Amino acid sequence: MFDPKLKEALAHVQKPGRYTGGESGCIIKDKAQVDLRFAFCFPDTYEVGMSFLGMKILYELLNQQPNWWCERAFMPWVDMKAEMERVGLPLYALESKDPLTDFDIVGFTLQYELSYSNILAMLDMAGIPLRAEDRGEEWPLIVAGGPCVCNGEPLADFIDMMMLGEGEEQLPHVCRIVEEAKGEGLPKKEVLRRIAAVPGCYVPSFYDVTYHEDGRVKAITPNDPAAPAVITKAVIRDMDSQAPPTHFVVPMVGAVHDRAQIEVLRGCVRGCRFCQAGFLYRPMRQRSADKLNEAARQLCDNTGYEEISLTSLSTSDHSQLEPLLDGLLTWTRDEHVSLSLPSLRIDNFSESLVEKTNRVRKTGLTFAPEAGTQRLRDVINKNVTWPEIERTCSLAFKAGYTSVKLYFMMGLPTETMEDIEGIADTAQKVVDLYYANPDKPKGKSVQVTISVACFVPKPHTPFQFVPQDTEQQLKEKQQHLLHSVHSKKIHVNYHDSSISFLEAVFAKGDRRLGRVLEAAYRKGCFFDGWDECFHYDRWMEAFRECGLDTAFYANRSIGLDEVTPWSHMDYGVSHDFLVREYRKAMAAQTTPPCNRRCSACGANKFVGGACFDYSADLVH
Amino acid sequence: MTTVRIWFTKTGEASYISLLDLQRVMQRSLKRSGLPVWYTLGFNPHIYMTFACPLPLGQESLVESVDVKTEEEKPDLEAWKKALEPVMPLGVAVTAVTLPQYKAGQIAGAVYAVRMPAAFAEGLDRYNGLSAAPVLKKSKRGQKEIDLKMHCPRLDYVQKGDEVCFEMQLPAGEGLNLNPSLWLGFLQEHCGVDATRAHVLRKRLVTKNSEDFA
Repeated sequence: MFDPKLKEALAHVQKPGRYTGGESGCIIKDKAQVDLRFAFCFPDTYEVGMSFLGMKILYELLNQQPNWWCERAFMPWVDMKAEMERVGLPLYALESKDPLTDFDIVGFTLQYELSYSNILAMLDMAGIPLRAEDRGEEWPLIVAGGPCVCNGEPLADFIDMMMLGEGEEQLPHVCRIVEEAKGEGLPKKEVLRRIAAVPGCYVPSFYDVTYHEDGRVKAITPNDPAAPAVITKAVIRDMDSQAPPTHFVVPMVGAVHDRAQIEVLRGCVRGCRFCQAGFLYRPMRQRSADKLNEAARQLCDNTGYEEISLTSLSTSDHSQLEPLLDGLLTWTRDEHVSLSLPSLRIDNFSESLVEKTNRVRKTGLTFAPEAGTQRLRDVINKNVTWPEIERTCSLAFKAGYTSVKLYFMMGLPTETMEDIEGIADTAQKVVDLYYANPDKPKGKSVQVTISVACFVPKPHTPFQFVPQDTEQQLKEKQQHLLHSVHSKKIHVNYHDSSISFLEAVFAKGDRRLGRVLEAAYRKGCFFDGWDECFHYDRWMEAFRECGLDTAFYANRSIGLDEVTPWSHMDYGVSHDFLVREYRKAMAAQTTPPCNRRCSACGANKFVGGACFDYSADLVH
Repeated sequence: MTTVRIWFTKTGEASYISLLDLQRVMQRSLKRSGLPVWYTLGFNPHIYMTFACPLPLGQESLVESVDVKTEEEKPDLEAWKKALEPVMPLGVAVTAVTLPQYKAGQIAGAVYAVRMPAAFAEGLDRYNGLSAAPVLKKSKRGQKEIDLKMHCPRLDYVQKGDEVCFEMQLPAGEGLNLNPSLWLGFLQEHCGVDATRAHVLRKRLVTKNSEDFA
């Protein structure tokens, strides 16, 4: 039976099923029989965390070791956090319901800058001292992975070790070291020294950072012989060497993405200059169609999911997508499974693809032109043209779709008000296309939704050098967009610019932001990514108290030769390449996708040669 | 087409699954089992399921049931049970698979066992001493006042260790459906009982003739 304190807390909260565990697929082991306990912590709600494929991959991988037990913990929603504090219940992992302090390793995944405050909240709720320097030998090792460790410097004070790159080989390697060290009774510092030799493992306390008087970073220097000067991310060379997970923990409370996810490829060939993931996960590597088909079938059998999603950064760039769909369609219909294909590209969305996804279920279509004019699309290297958008939407409308969602960004480098008007024009032209279709369904109207995010410049992209628009500029652009839309068929969604502003500050931040983060958390900031919990004033207060200027981080151009807080992180993409791409962007020149022509970004060092067989026709 | 009734418990972790979530959980568990259950036709085929008498969130039960259909004429019920046992989440244990004897609409009452810390015995005494216990019952058709005393004049408890326990038989099903939560709400408001520390377990479902719903 449950701890009476937990039962009491659950009686007072919304959706208690988020905090009980016990889902199908969750792994229960006898803790007396395991040598290493790993708490996989997702610093956001259960519903968000349970949608995350990375957790499913690593959960299955670690639990395959009979003497390791990987469990899950999520950030409790505001009501549960208050209840747990009231009844005196420390943060626990869902499987055993043991507090995080019982674990050898507590690992966080950094998916989003605005979840950093939740990491502090989760450590605090577990009774673990926030700062690494305050944690003696008795505390678990606190580690982090995920895309945001590409500049995890704002968390350097709190995390013992960060893992750059892909975890399938790296994380078990780390766990083995910790398991052995436990047997030998090694002190934490020695354990970290051993881990520092694992590809992609970064121990922030092994580096000193010095600053210029104006606040720019002067140098980042290792202070321990075990620490490499540059940390190079871990990469899985051959995706077919790593089978995708065949079991998922199937959430009972609906997750945001509650379906079987099959990762068809990793990385992206497109090179959109704003997209951090596109640079972090290079080079693009795909799994073969027959292995994917087999994995999808097993996953559906094991989970009972009724929907498969073929996930990746750009699913239609898989060179065997149509054979894969044909393979899936041989069994999915009989098994009552439907297919969904997120991340389709407008430029290679073919008629037979529409037809194949149509065979199962018809939902809305979503496309991301990202910018409203061709000039700006060239600047960001989103190589999509209006004729392509036109062709795709016509195809979709002919196939019976009546709603289209278009994603855009504002605040992109070199953007003018003309580009903002271009967003409205694009949406209007899509509406007009619908009415130009002679076979449109009678009595049905079209709904075009444009969703406009604020651009956030990110490290390791060609736009890392550019300043973010100020909040004032972004608000003016939002207003201008609203005034430029004249049709009731067009619905405009836009984001809170102050959240994006804070995201930019932390994305490009340095270690000094650790103090700000801690101060803001102490003032009650957590769940910052949720509008209803975001307290901009408290954040600004924290920055003032720490004597740091937000504009320095978000709204300042970074010199092309400047030492950045992430200069010691190597994701395979060379600094020269980023500078070249930046210059081309300013000249509105495009760069072709990697599978068409290599642009020498440097990431092919991970595969030891060319990333693609350029003699074959890979582009379709 | 044959209707099959699957009986299961809903305890521990599973007591926090809402009816809406339970439908999805059951759908996926049935799919994992590979049993030949019948799917609805149309654009969004799904397994046809009817839950007998849904339980409020947080309460436990030993007698939950869901009806599904199959095209098998004589389903092997033991084999069904074996196929279902391993695919359920924690707290859902398949106790039997049967052919329905009664329709879900014939459920007329339910028996609950209620436990709470012994400190609240005084509150129960206070309830037993009252002449009337009016509460507002909300339903889809609006709210109406009922007197709890009409349905359960006394809460005859016994002390077991540091807890007090009592049983209640209440009307349930399609007509009048009264849940112990009404009493717990009243006890909390008027008798000093912390309802969140009470534990409710449904032990039986009965028909109009006081026979076990089967």
